[in-house]
Amino acid sequence: MTLIKKHIPLAICFIVGILTLSSYYVPTQASEKYVESMNKWENIVAGFAFLLGLFSLFFSHTRKITRRVDGWGYSLFVFVGFLAMVVPAIVSNGKQMVGADLTGLGWGYRFLFNALSGTMFSVLAFYIVSTAYRAFRIKSLQAGVLFAAALVLMLAKVPLGQMIWETLFGWTGGWDIAQIGQWLMDVPAVAGKRGIMMGLAIGGIVTALKIIFGIERQYMGKD
Amino acid sequence: MSETMFIVGGWVAAGLTIFLFSFLYKDNPFFKAAEHLYLGAGMGWVFQTVLFQTWIPKVWEPLTKQGDWTVLIPTVLGLTLVTQFFPKISWLSRYGFTFIMGYGSGLVIPLTISTDLLKQIGGTMAPFMVSEVTRGNILSLVNGAIIAVGFICVLFYFFFSVEHKGAIKKASNIGIYFLMLYFGAAFGNTVMGRFSLLYGRFDDLYKYSGSNYFYATHVILGVMVLYFIVDHFRTRKPAAEEEAA
Repeated sequence: MTLIKKHIPLAICFIVGILTLSSYYVPTQASEKYVESMNKWENIVAGFAFLLGLFSLFFSHTRKITRRVDGWGYSLFVFVGFLAMVVPAIVSNGKQMVGADLTGLGWGYRFLFNALSGTMFSVLAFYIVSTAYRAFRIKSLQAGVLFAAALVLMLAKVPLGQMIWETLFGWTGGWDIAQIGQWLMDVPAVAGKRGIMMGLAIGGIVTALKIIFGIERQYMGKD
Repeated sequence: MSETMFIVGGWVAAGLTIFLFSFLYKDNPFFKAAEHLYLGAGMGWVFQTVLFQTWIPKVWEPLTKQGDWTVLIPTVLGLTLVTQFFPKISWLSRYGFTFIMGYGSGLVIPLTISTDLLKQIGGTMAPFMVSEVTRGNILSLVNGAIIAVGFICVLFYFFFSVEHKGAIKKASNIGIYFLMLYFGAAFGNTVMGRFSLLYGRFDDLYKYSGSNYFYATHVILGVMVLYFIVDHFRTRKPAAEEEAA
């Protein structure tokens, strides 16, 4: 049983991993065809992986409704929202527009999903500001640099910030705030970002090798 | 789509936007309903995307129209993932997971080496190449030197194989400042990104407040304010009880 439960899955991981890795460095017609097929296969498997999350959500909310736990009524809205997107999608065959006309799915995306997702993320703007107040209490020079960089970027991105800068420092005839913001993003921020990217890259490569060779296997769960 | 559906859409969008914003005042049933609706709609959106962009064109059509039976292999591998819900056979899901992990790992190594390692090192060295230096662009050289020094100092900060003292400590300290500049810039960008979303929502609320949408924003906002006033008096504790608490 260990063979079926453990060794064969690990062998699949090893073979698929090594073949995918080597096909990048050995570009033949066969390897290109292999990568193309595997890409398609991975899309299909990942599609089913989504079902895991969907079923888990449905089980959780169905349980709340059947057991009438506190706030069970809100769980109904999960199913309403799901059906509000899926039913029109099936009717309109997954199309948002037919010619210049909006389909049911297009309507749902524009007035329901887009409104909800846009607002949900924009609400974070208020929380970011309150977080910033706590995070930017300048206790050291390093915190001061962090604050200055954030402030410059925020001023550089809006016309109001540019007007303030122009009023305060326009007489110097130097760079405007948009140019300073751009320089900050293109030069010193790039140095910091590259250092982090390199660390992440090395960590990612090592983890990927550990997965291919079966050293890292926590994702398989317990025996 | 008829004009009426656009007006209904305006009311729905304005209502949901105001319901979600109402959380800024305090938690309330309208926010919770909109929040759950978002969860369901998000899942519905992803479901229809997977259905019409993966399952139908990559599984159903090859099977029924082209007789391509090889698609059954990833389909079965995918279906094994769902066995996670049945403890007795949940080990079957390992077949799907190991396939995804093996393919992802094999793919990520060359891509990471190419984009995150070699291209970044190349980008740092590029301003000092002979062809660039002979152009005599001083500003480009100075910027290149700042990036190179900052990059090396940041690497020193993350290098733990030697003790951070002396010159290494100084380099690592300079690295912290470059990291702070990056974090600050990233934070500033995120804040402005969120605010641009906020402007978008306010712009929509303004649009739906017009007479062509029958003043949807005004009406819904008024109803919400009324709800909070009524709720305030309904849930207010009697003065004696408040004192005792």
